Amino acid sequence: MNTPATLNELLVVTLAREFRNDEVGFTGLATGAAAALFATAIPLAAMQLARRTHAPDLTVLLAGWIYNPDLARLDELPDAEFAEKLRDLPCESQSLDYPGSWPHRNGAISFGFGSGVQVDACGNINSVLVGDPARPKVRLVGSILLPEHFSQFGREYIMMPRHDQRTFVEQVDYVAGVGYPGGLEGRARLGLESGGPELVVTPKCIFDFDKVAGRMKVRSIHPGVTADELRAATGFDLGDLSGVPQTAPPTERELEIIRREIDPRSALLGYDMASAQ
Amino acid sequence: MSNSIATAEVERRSKVVSLQQAAGLVADGMRIGLGGFAIYQRPMAFVRELIRQRRKDLTVVGVTNSIEADMLIAAGTCSRLETSYMGFEKFGLAPAFRRACEKHGFDAVDYPELLAWDRFRADQEGLQFWPASGLGGTSLVELNPDIKAFDCPLTGKPLHALPATRLDIAVIHAAAADKYGNVIVPGFHNLPQSFDVTLSRSCRKLVVTAERIVSDNFLQRHARLVQIPAARVHAVVEVPFGAHPTSMLGRYLDDDTHWAQYIGAAKTEEGVAEYLKANVFDLASHDDYLDRIGGARLASLLQVDLQQ
Repeated sequence: MNTPATLNELLVVTLAREFRNDEVGFTGLATGAAAALFATAIPLAAMQLARRTHAPDLTVLLAGWIYNPDLARLDELPDAEFAEKLRDLPCESQSLDYPGSWPHRNGAISFGFGSGVQVDACGNINSVLVGDPARPKVRLVGSILLPEHFSQFGREYIMMPRHDQRTFVEQVDYVAGVGYPGGLEGRARLGLESGGPELVVTPKCIFDFDKVAGRMKVRSIHPGVTADELRAATGFDLGDLSGVPQTAPPTERELEIIRREIDPRSALLGYDMASAQ
Repeated sequence: MSNSIATAEVERRSKVVSLQQAAGLVADGMRIGLGGFAIYQRPMAFVRELIRQRRKDLTVVGVTNSIEADMLIAAGTCSRLETSYMGFEKFGLAPAFRRACEKHGFDAVDYPELLAWDRFRADQEGLQFWPASGLGGTSLVELNPDIKAFDCPLTGKPLHALPATRLDIAVIHAAAADKYGNVIVPGFHNLPQSFDVTLSRSCRKLVVTAERIVSDNFLQRHARLVQIPAARVHAVVEVPFGAHPTSMLGRYLDDDTHWAQYIGAAKTEEGVAEYLKANVFDLASHDDYLDRIGGARLASLLQVDLQQ
């Protein structure tokens, strides 16, 4: 009955299955087509799917200040964090001030979503600059909320719309959010007693972490992507990929919920990176 | 003995000054905070006046910054920026900032977003620093000598001390204020307006530019919305469309056309110099600036918003 799942839908169900009931998920409002898709739209759709399948009490914090928004009302993803369009989106609560009605740093946020220009083998993320910090080759926006995401949220999903050797590097040029340097013990020595990246989501695969060794490893490879292609696109050694499974596809029911209830107007998942490239 | 009704021997002082006078309160080398947040509700008329008066070596301290800081950097007015985000959101990267960093090693000091905000709260609470957990292992602490590691005196766990902002002056652009400096903040506001309130509590010298200076009567009818009381305010200036080209919640939208003009111009040093000549140096006043933008364009940005 259904047309096959798109990449966007595959990533939505993969994430949705990670979330548990009663959790609180935080997503910022990223701008730029691919970044907005990965860091905002796919996470929002995944949280909505989880709410409809197995986590009805999950709370969505959109842009950090809008609680449980009615996303099915959207014609398109808003591109301004503090403008009337987002303010007037139907929701359950709004946090209008800082510090607001939801604490961010005491374990109240179960998981968040972050992105950057580089991610490295131990899961450090960089959104600040490329090259030498004193005279960068490329200066970007800054760390924003990533330091908090990677240390004070329960766990972090790294959302990378590009998967190539420039973005997946052995060592990032600037650590905005800390992964597992020296593993969990290494984090503890830095004073990071909880949190940290959980998965890395890309157009080619899903990574998780060997948190003892402090190293990213491939958890599953998306349909149509070969192991060789994955190695060629990654700037660090991926080890033995022979036992790595394919990313599990959505069920018919999941696809139906996404298409009919969550994103009926393709406001969230309408952007197709493959055809845009 | 007189029975006459007592009359005041002194009159309450109006703090209304001109934009030129207000910008004159900023001296070279000061640490300055500019109200609003990211691309929203920035005190742009004040920024243009600072540039017109050729102020230099300012340190801009913020939480998230955009065109207000980019223009100051382009003009050579700002030589250091302490913030968590410097970009134009949907409009992309900040062009003058980016060039200053990449070509001239501009002094950009990165802070995490919530802690950037907490630095202002430290000032508000009379503290020298704000304590932070969770920063170990980041380049933010490695590259910033102003952030000091220390052990929690209670648990011994590693923490970091982030310096209070220690601003010399702050400037916000508000919807309405009275001539004494009471500032009305709309009840249905967002973080940009919340940051203005935090700024007002963190600094010793606050300048308010306002869309409208309102009557005592109007002010008192909205007393519950006055989050910045007069005594916190040093000077008030009436500046309609004072946030242009940024937006003013509930009053006007951002001027996308003008943003595009600035971004196009700011791609090169020559381009941004021409932009500043045409929009700042060649104009004598904010009124001239509004005339240059044009009545029809400004009218097209106006909002109808009854939610406040």
